Amino acid sequence: MLKKTGLLLGAATGVALAGVMAITAMAQNAAGPFTQDQVNAGRQAYNDNCAICHQNDLSGATDAPPLAGDAFFGAWKGRSTEALYSKIHATMPAGRGGSLDEATYTGIVAYILHANSARAGTTALTPTTDVAIGAIATGKLADDVLHPPARVAAAPANGQGANSDVATSAGFARPGQVVRYGDPGRFRIPTQLGLSLKGDIQNYIPVTDEMLRNPPDGDWLMFRRNYQGWSFSPLSQINTGNVSSLQLKWMWSMPENGTMEDTPIVHDGIMYMWGVGNTIQALNAKTGELLWENRLGPTPTAMGPGPSTTETRSMGLYGNNVYVAAPEGWLYALDARTGEQVWKTKINPKEGVGRTTGGVIIINGKVIVGMTGCGRPKSGDHCYISAYDAKTGARDWKFTTVALTGQPGGDSWGGKPDDERMGAETWIAGTYDPELNTTYWGTAQAKPWRRDLRGTGTGATDYANSTVALDPDTGKMKWWHNHAPGETFDLDEVFERVLVDHDSQKYLLTIGKAGILWKLDRVTGKYLDHAETVFQNVFTKIDPKTGIPTYRKDVIDQKVDQWLPSCPGPEGGHDWQATSYHKPSDTLIIPLSQSCVFMLGNGSQTYFEMPGSDGNMGRLSAYRTSDLKPLWSFQQRAPFLTGVVSTAGNVAFVGDFDRVFRAIDVRNGKTLWTTRLGTTVQGYPVSFMVDGKQYIAVTTALGGGSPQLKPGTMLREVHRPVTGYAVFVFGLPDAK
Amino acid sequence: MKHRILPALAFALLASAPALAAQTSYQTNLGPMPLDDETKTVIAGRGDATAVLDGRTVTVKGSFHGLPSNATEAHIFTSPVAGVPGKQILDLDVTKATSGTISGTFKLSAQQAKDLRTGKLYIQINSEKAPPGYSWGPKGTLWGWLLPAHETVGQDVPQEGHWFIPQLDTPKS
Repeated sequence: MLKKTGLLLGAATGVALAGVMAITAMAQNAAGPFTQDQVNAGRQAYNDNCAICHQNDLSGATDAPPLAGDAFFGAWKGRSTEALYSKIHATMPAGRGGSLDEATYTGIVAYILHANSARAGTTALTPTTDVAIGAIATGKLADDVLHPPARVAAAPANGQGANSDVATSAGFARPGQVVRYGDPGRFRIPTQLGLSLKGDIQNYIPVTDEMLRNPPDGDWLMFRRNYQGWSFSPLSQINTGNVSSLQLKWMWSMPENGTMEDTPIVHDGIMYMWGVGNTIQALNAKTGELLWENRLGPTPTAMGPGPSTTETRSMGLYGNNVYVAAPEGWLYALDARTGEQVWKTKINPKEGVGRTTGGVIIINGKVIVGMTGCGRPKSGDHCYISAYDAKTGARDWKFTTVALTGQPGGDSWGGKPDDERMGAETWIAGTYDPELNTTYWGTAQAKPWRRDLRGTGTGATDYANSTVALDPDTGKMKWWHNHAPGETFDLDEVFERVLVDHDSQKYLLTIGKAGILWKLDRVTGKYLDHAETVFQNVFTKIDPKTGIPTYRKDVIDQKVDQWLPSCPGPEGGHDWQATSYHKPSDTLIIPLSQSCVFMLGNGSQTYFEMPGSDGNMGRLSAYRTSDLKPLWSFQQRAPFLTGVVSTAGNVAFVGDFDRVFRAIDVRNGKTLWTTRLGTTVQGYPVSFMVDGKQYIAVTTALGGGSPQLKPGTMLREVHRPVTGYAVFVFGLPDAK
Repeated sequence: MKHRILPALAFALLASAPALAAQTSYQTNLGPMPLDDETKTVIAGRGDATAVLDGRTVTVKGSFHGLPSNATEAHIFTSPVAGVPGKQILDLDVTKATSGTISGTFKLSAQQAKDLRTGKLYIQINSEKAPPGYSWGPKGTLWGWLLPAHETVGQDVPQEGHWFIPQLDTPKS
């Protein structure tokens, strides 16, 4: 075992070139302070606990930094194995730091060192082993990581590996413990897949194109209710005068041990729910009675909340089918009356590459889905938006979301080869203008996040962080507008595109993690206006004619292994918690978050409160869309973890991290009603009507990325059960 | 929407009345410095501070509580922009305990006065357990940027028409 020496410390800080050379030479010879047995055990533990976020090849994705290669080594070569253990033990698995046993953590650290070409020795790694990582590793990817053995399977639904033991449904078992269910005769064991309850829904009304264009008042047929992405219900039975008497009508517990950010889909009195493990359920929307259930799988194999890549945010209805884009990259059509599978087709390019979490939009008989989690280094596996025949599942078209050589915008990647152009994920379903026959999608940033690692210089990296306008019949792009050219802080501009008309003017409004509300002409893509909704220090100015932002100088000049602050951080500003457009008052109601990060080149982060926020991470603000005039705003300690639904009764509903679900007056932001639910109120609330009565539905759940992780660390006074995934339905008291 | 400097200045003037017109008030809420799950047990607490600028003389007063270990020192720093750490320029008196007060009166240089006016000065409190031995990001316990005095309301209380957003309501120069 090598202890740190003055020479090694000097080299590790990168001060002396000679020191670096010495380290490199030593690293080629010195055995690491860990054993091959630890590596073997750590490989399995890594696959079970880490791979879903950090990827099988340790290359990192979404909120997870790379754990091998240049980016990792640049950040860690000067630090010790003890610090790496401490960091991983305290923070991992995400949101469950310290939940694994010591042998598992040491194994994972040993495997990470091995993955960076450190050589196993005869001394076992312990939590206090203190060796400079630069002295034993090179940062070169080990061969068996670059080319993993075939038995290393892709991570399943809740992201914890394919070979783990069965988890409990409630998450009370320790890791690895097999729990026997005491009464399988009455309850179907959660690991059994298939149609567990066949439905027999009579007189089902098929969903037509006309219904999607003009949804029945009592229905919620798609993600944001209408093609324009408003999340506005024309129902007014529940209004500012009576909302204070709202009461629980029924609730239904949902599968746990994963991630849920769900939209209840409601048609003609039937509610369709997606649950962890791709458990699809149809419920009587008035009574909460289960009508059918199909467990598509794969089932969760580990306990606790999952990452953001293991869920889907919305299903869709068309004809007699319900359409499910499972996060593992499969698109299903199920019979909405029985739950039986009609067809199943592959979305992603190959097993383990590409996931889909944003849900679906169905346009002119085509089911259109986005993709995330794709784009491994030099793989050529680009993200794409793709369309499938609703009747057969046959793929109709796909649109690759990075500009390739020779395409418009193809010269914006700093000369990077096409197979190194990564990112531009689409993890929120698009919207649609039937009159223009155009579908609008947001894309996420290029990968890796940081420019210093990406190697694209100041290039715009089209079509990342853009609005793209596509012909839904062909997938051909009509225009794109890049909101944050060359983005570098994981500040996605991927979220909802809200389509609003003022007289003959056709606008598109969207807001990304930078917290800037953008207004475009959706016919041409031309920038029109913007409003900064929270503190931001990433951009120093925004061109008033083009909307192109200028980055802070130290952001432009960033170097590898340099910590850079970003306000907002990856929690946003604005995140997946979507806005609502209250048509009667021309008001856009926006859930906002107020946190910042320090980010290292490899994506490592520490968090802090946003200046001027007084420690309030949550903010809800309203803007008039005609002129982006701010109307009202309030803030609170806990961030909002749901989208907003507003109604013709001038009320809006939103839920938060600290379990509060509330109704507010759309006209002034005043809270009219609150209730406290079992765990974080997370998902997309909706409103619907059955038998002449209006209801509000919302889900409670855990799991996800930065919107869960940042407050989970920063709000130490907030305590939440790890259980409690459910859908709640509220309504007015029955008439006497 | 894009230009809120005038309303902010108007409020700052209002806040300082009936003080002399030359006085300008600033405020900050002190919150934890950058942390993660590994360091959140030693980086915690909360505080408030005000700064009153009279000519070139600034008087800083504040309080803090809830530190996991005793405060050791407090300083004023200058930064390139709010949210970005910078250089230590002035020392504040601080109670060497987990709660207490900070204070100091200083004659600012012209550049320092400008930095205060443009929201680039911040207060930082260190404590016994934070920063030692931690390699991630800036080292300290509490910090907060001094921003033009502005109206603050309680949680869940809506503000109509205008609310404080630092980069919009702080003078650029």
